[in-house]
This record gives sequence, structure tokens and C-alpha cells, in this order.
Amino acid sequence: MVNEILARLQALPDILAATPILAIGLTLGAFFAGNWLFSRVGRPLWLPPVVLSALLLAGVIAFLAVDYQSYQQGARWLSVLLGPATVALGIPLYQQMHHIRAMWRPIVVTLPIAATMAAVYAVVIGWALGATPEVLASLAPKSVTAPIAIGITEQLGGSVPLMMGGLLITGVVATLFVDLLARLLPVKDERILGFALGLNGHAVGTARAFEISHTAGAFASLGMGLTGVFTALILPLVFRL
Amino acid sequence: MSMLRGFLVLVLFFILGESMRVLFALPVSGGVLGMVVITFTLMVKGNVSDELASASQGLISVLVLLIMPGVVGVFFTADQFSGQWLAVATALLVGTFLSVLTTLLLMQLVTARGDGDGE
Repeated sequence: MVNEILARLQALPDILAATPILAIGLTLGAFFAGNWLFSRVGRPLWLPPVVLSALLLAGVIAFLAVDYQSYQQGARWLSVLLGPATVALGIPLYQQMHHIRAMWRPIVVTLPIAATMAAVYAVVIGWALGATPEVLASLAPKSVTAPIAIGITEQLGGSVPLMMGGLLITGVVATLFVDLLARLLPVKDERILGFALGLNGHAVGTARAFEISHTAGAFASLGMGLTGVFTALILPLVFRL
Repeated sequence: MSMLRGFLVLVLFFILGESMRVLFALPVSGGVLGMVVITFTLMVKGNVSDELASASQGLISVLVLLIMPGVVGVFFTADQFSGQWLAVATALLVGTFLSVLTTLLLMQLVTARGDGDGE
């Protein structure tokens, strides 16, 4: 009797994993648990909540012995919303657009060069150290906000999980480097610091910019949005060559 | 209800973007095309409705949830890239340092030169 139930218990994760609801439940649970843990450990900048959530989720998937592929199948019900969510980024971008008028010259000059170099530095260094084309395609959109970067990587033929890992590391180290270089150079203009945070460090950098000031946050949002659009439009064309 | 109406607008612009991508064989994702089109539409229109603003805010606030299935994959596909970790780590660390430096120097240079412009 007990043995039978134990045997059924062992089969349970696979049966539940046959529908998308287990994947959705696990992802939602890890999302809230990660956010809770994040506030409990004092909201450290170097450890964004998404990393905590992902670690918890990976642990649970491994522990339940749910097949990762079947998790991905179910989680597609969530990922499909990334399309409309990417479109949604256009609304804050429109709302921040008036900041361009205050600083249009530095933005117009810096954005194309800096956004291009953010990809070029990583690809050239990776290539020189012998990374495969798939890895290079996963590194190229490292400074772009995640929903846009997923679209870019799929277009370039890279690996989405690898790109996501690189993206998060980039966000964290970009935030640290902006703080460091702001002191060394020195740069005091909050608009410049915010723009650099958003351009190089996407959402992680933008979160840091909002801690500096509202102005820095607004310029970070603008830098993140413009970098996303610019990189998404240019990178696939460059990669074809 | 009103938030759903805003969501419908986002879905329609995404479908428009996807259609543009397929019809013109563009190498850019449908989401980005939809985002560019909706931004320009709002700039021409000059304002954004509350419905659309609240729907977009709602979706953006759960972005982390939507990208998590992709992020978690890094733990399960790690073996695939063994032997390339040095290249990946160096590219990320050194590349990001250089690009932050480039951004700050360029911005400072151009701002200093055009000081007083449009302020």
C-alpha cells in the first residue's frame, strides 16, 4: 500500500509536468520567493532578484527531477508574453523622449558609437580567445534589455540561456564599473551617469540609476530604450556580413 | 477591463511587428518592430491613454517573471559551452569595462563642448 503510493509519488512530477501549469506555478513561486529573499538580504546591487529567483527555480527543477525540456515546453505559456512586453517598452521610451531635447547632442553622438562598441568589444575579445560563432552571437546583445536581447539572439542564432547569463553579469559589472569610473575620471553629471548605466547595464543599471536620483533614472531608461532599439536594428545587419 | 483593452493594443502592435518581419523578411524581432512603431505612433499622436500606460506598466513590472525560463536554462546548458568560459568571462568583464569607459568619456567630451546648448 505505502509502496504503491510512494511509486505513484515518484511518477507525480512527470504527470504534472505534462501540462504547462506546473511550469507556470514553479516560475511564479520562484519569482515571488526570489523577490522576498532579495528584500530579506538587504537588496544588494550585485545580486539582482532575477538571479535569486533563477537559482531557486533551477534548484527546484533539479530536486523534483522534472525534465528541463518539459519545463521549457510549459514555460512557453509565459514566454509568449515577451512579445507584447517588448512592445510595452515603447511607452516609457515615449514618455522619456523629452529628455532628448535637453541633451540631444551628446545623446545623438554617443548612442550609436557606444552601443556599437558595447557589442564590438565583447565579440572581438571573445573571437580572439577562440569562442565559437554561437557563443559570439550570444555575447553580442549583452548590453541590451532582456526581452529585446532574446529577439536579437534568436535572429543571430545564439543560445538564449548563455546570452541571459552574460546579460545579467554585464548588468551587474556595468553598474560597478560606472560607480568606479565616475570616481576616477571624475564624472559628476547625473544625466551622464544615468545614461551610461542604462546604455551599458540595461535594467540592472537603470535600477541603480534610480537610486542616484530621479533624473539619473530617467536618463538611464532613455539610454536603455535607445540602446535596445539601435542594437536590435543594427546588429542583425552587421552580423550578416 | 481597461487594462485588458490596453493589452489588446500591445498585442495588436506585436502582431503588426511580426507581420512586418515576415512580409519584408527583416532580421529584427517582431517585438522590437512593434515597439518602434508604437513609439512613433505615440510621438505623432502626442499623448498616451491611461489604459495603454497601465497595461504596459503591468507587463513591464513582471518582465523578470517572463525572462526567468530563459535565465534558468543557463544552469542546464552549461556543459554545452565548456572550454569557452575563459573567453566568455573575459569578453564580459573587459568588454563591459571598455564600453563603460567609452560611454563616459564620449558623453563628457561632447557635453563639455556643447555646454549651454539647449539647456
